[in-house]
Amino acid sequence: MADAVITGGLHRVETVMGIPVGIDVRDDGIDPAALDRAFAHLHAADEAFSPYRAASDVRRLDAGTLAPPDARPEVRVVLARCERLRRATGGWFDVRATGRLDPSGFVKGWAVDGAVAVLRAAGARNLCVHAGGDVRVLGDRAPGRPWRIGVQHPRERGRVAAVLHAPPDGLAVATSGAYERGAHIVDPRTGRPPSGVLSVTVAGPELGTADAYATAAFAMGSDAPAWTATLGPYAALTILAPGRVLSTPGMDALRAA
Amino acid sequence: MDAGDLARRAAPLAIATAGVAALLHSVRARPEPLPPDASVPKIEAGPTTKTIRGVSTRRPTATGRVRSGLSDAFTTPFSFIQVRVTFTGRELTRVETVEMTGTGARTQAINARAEPRLRAGSADIDVVTGATYSSQSYRKALQSAIDKARHG
Repeated sequence: MADAVITGGLHRVETVMGIPVGIDVRDDGIDPAALDRAFAHLHAADEAFSPYRAASDVRRLDAGTLAPPDARPEVRVVLARCERLRRATGGWFDVRATGRLDPSGFVKGWAVDGAVAVLRAAGARNLCVHAGGDVRVLGDRAPGRPWRIGVQHPRERGRVAAVLHAPPDGLAVATSGAYERGAHIVDPRTGRPPSGVLSVTVAGPELGTADAYATAAFAMGSDAPAWTATLGPYAALTILAPGRVLSTPGMDALRAA
Repeated sequence: MDAGDLARRAAPLAIATAGVAALLHSVRARPEPLPPDASVPKIEAGPTTKTIRGVSTRRPTATGRVRSGLSDAFTTPFSFIQVRVTFTGRELTRVETVEMTGTGARTQAINARAEPRLRAGSADIDVVTGATYSSQSYRKALQSAIDKARHG
């Protein structure tokens, strides 16, 4: 059923970190300045973490011109979390997989999680944020109607391969695949792109972690589905090939009936 | 032929994980259950589904009776896995990894779905998750169409 045109709430799309980020708040009466603060949070994360900005903490750490103890506190926190994720994924998620320090695979989701916290603090309870393929939702799209998240079909741009219904307490969803930017994810053990898998989608409580897990699973190639069943509160959907989709029990519960 | 020897023979079959080597060891250590003919035993998967995860074969150089057998189920944190090996004479000629999956909480397994359900348009979704796209490719993306509709 098509919805009527949505008249209330707030909606804006901006480019942050070179990707489009959209915020869609469905609550009425939220101060529009909350959107400004949420986007400011995302831009600040870009300044600290961008591997493309010569003045970012990450670039200076990589170049050795910034000592780790002198980095911003949030940079130290993020790099510590990335290190824990590297261990939790057996090295498959590695911010140095390309030989350069690049925590973007975690930072994008982590920054969106922070922007959602900003919006919550402003009173928003029903919202959706997308950031270049990452998704974080909270509450409902309309009273009693859950957010519906499409999983991009890896071969057909205009279609989705699955639809997830988010629980009202929120959901973070990240997808890794080579169909948008080519083979940018490499198996840290071979330095080569993975094979045997088209995309991995991970859903759970936090977007940064979901992003890291999706990246790690995609790098594993055809071993991804088995590993994704070990991720506790994070559910996964792996598309091995058109017509060959594997989902964990948690993902089955999210998939629309 | 010891287990290490068997593992080395298995390596060219491109299944080289330690787990499989361990499984082969368990198969080798129990040669008696191998069925006496060439028929591949049917796997009783019960209410679960079974997925062939990997198959490797090579042309036998030896001749002789073809026998195959299943290892004991190997419980990993995520599923049951069994390895089916086939011998031609004394030579290992085929290794298949068979994964038995189900929905039981105990197995925490993966469910295979035959077909992704495709939705033609964006009318029944609010947002799209996908591989990271840039601002350049956004205008061609499904998400862009949804945002335009949202903005009225």
